Amino acid sequence: MGATSSSPDHTITGILGSRLDPQWHDRLHHMEHHGGIDLVRLDTRDLSRRRLRVTSESGADCMIALARDEPLFDGAVLFADEAHAIVLKVNLERWLRLRPTSAEDALALGYAAGNLHWRVRFRGKDLEVAMEGPEQGYLDRIPDLIESGAVIVVAEETSSA
Amino acid sequence: MDTIDNIPAAETGTKPLGAARVGIGGPVGSGKTALIEQLLVHLAKRSISTAVITNDLVTAEDAERLRKGGAIDPARVLAVEAGACPHTVIREDPTLNIIAADQLDRLYRDLELTIIESGGDNLASTFSLDLVDWWIFVIDVAGGDDIPRKRGPGVLQCDLLVVNKVDLAPHVGVDLGRMLEEARSVRDGRPVVATNCRSGENVAAVADAIAEAVLVAR
Ligand SMILES: Nc1nc2c(ncn2[C@@H]2O[C@H](COP(=O)(O)OP(=O)(O)OP(=O)(O)O)[C@@H](O)[C@H]2O)c(=O)[nH]1
Ligand SMILES: [Mg+2]
Repeated sequence: MGATSSSPDHTITGILGSRLDPQWHDRLHHMEHHGGIDLVRLDTRDLSRRRLRVTSESGADCMIALARDEPLFDGAVLFADEAHAIVLKVNLERWLRLRPTSAEDALALGYAAGNLHWRVRFRGKDLEVAMEGPEQGYLDRIPDLIESGAVIVVAEETSSA
Repeated sequence: MDTIDNIPAAETGTKPLGAARVGIGGPVGSGKTALIEQLLVHLAKRSISTAVITNDLVTAEDAERLRKGGAIDPARVLAVEAGACPHTVIREDPTLNIIAADQLDRLYRDLELTIIESGGDNLASTFSLDLVDWWIFVIDVAGGDDIPRKRGPGVLQCDLLVVNKVDLAPHVGVDLGRMLEEARSVRDGRPVVATNCRSGENVAAVADAIAEAVLVAR
């Protein structure tokens, strides 16, 4: 048996360009008309990986193996031949919007978010937490704040990465 | 206009890639070093060029154990001293480990896999994906069958959860089947492997998972 249990359809050891590069833009546009574009979808957190095995939307098994100094990014062209290309698409980030009901609760929530190493951003008086898993997993970490009503969950939002 | 015909296909890239980096974390004494000892045997059988970085608190205990174990060239084992907080050097500031891994890539041109063992920590410890490409969290049966239910970030977020010391289940009154079922359920079905790192039972499945996830066939 070789190093891998099953060989991938594509081994991607370099990024060819960006969907936004003018020459790629035209070429991809042309391919798109002929159904030649395949997507690999990743969450934001996975962009830090330099090795990962992913299945594209149309089922191609891709082993991405990049040099340490070569970052993944939304729109990266991973593979191309005459008529087909595989392009990286970053999933929309999901944010959990939390509203503390008083200044004291805001302090407690801010402390908890830091202690739990959550990635956050501020929206007025609300705190938003980038969700890398199910929402409940985050709420379960701050049960006292949620159950006492000190922090209220505001309807979920999506926004671009 | 066809200006990009000269761009080589991705498959023909020639840049040196360096080794895949795999983290192994988990509570104190759960069997991280024992898993590595067993993995080294499997990886050697598959001719996968491997190196190890250990993170002990203030000693090089685990590194010494691996060097003496005979399953790896002792020079391929580096020790990074983690100081008081083992999670700091794998998450908040993994610089020391990145430097060590870069050094191994430079020293061993053929290197395919670098395993990084975190110092024993708690269920909240996770690896930064800036340091590793993929990581394993090792818990053990003797720690109690309620561990998966506690939904620690290490248990939830790792790419592979290893439930070790299955041989101890009858001795500590743990229902292994239920523990594994709960582990799979809190992880939304992502992979869980049950091992005995004393006897080597099921370690091949861990080696398979590593190869499948991050190793490029040569
Ligand atoms: N019975 C049994 N013992 C095991 C197993 N795996 C490891 N051990 C024992 O558990 C103890 C701890 O194992 P280690 O490999 O040192 O654990 P560790 O996670 O590396 O420990 P730290 O690095 O100190 O956090 C040792 O005495 C091992 O022999 C197993 O599957 N079954
Ligand atoms: Mg150890």
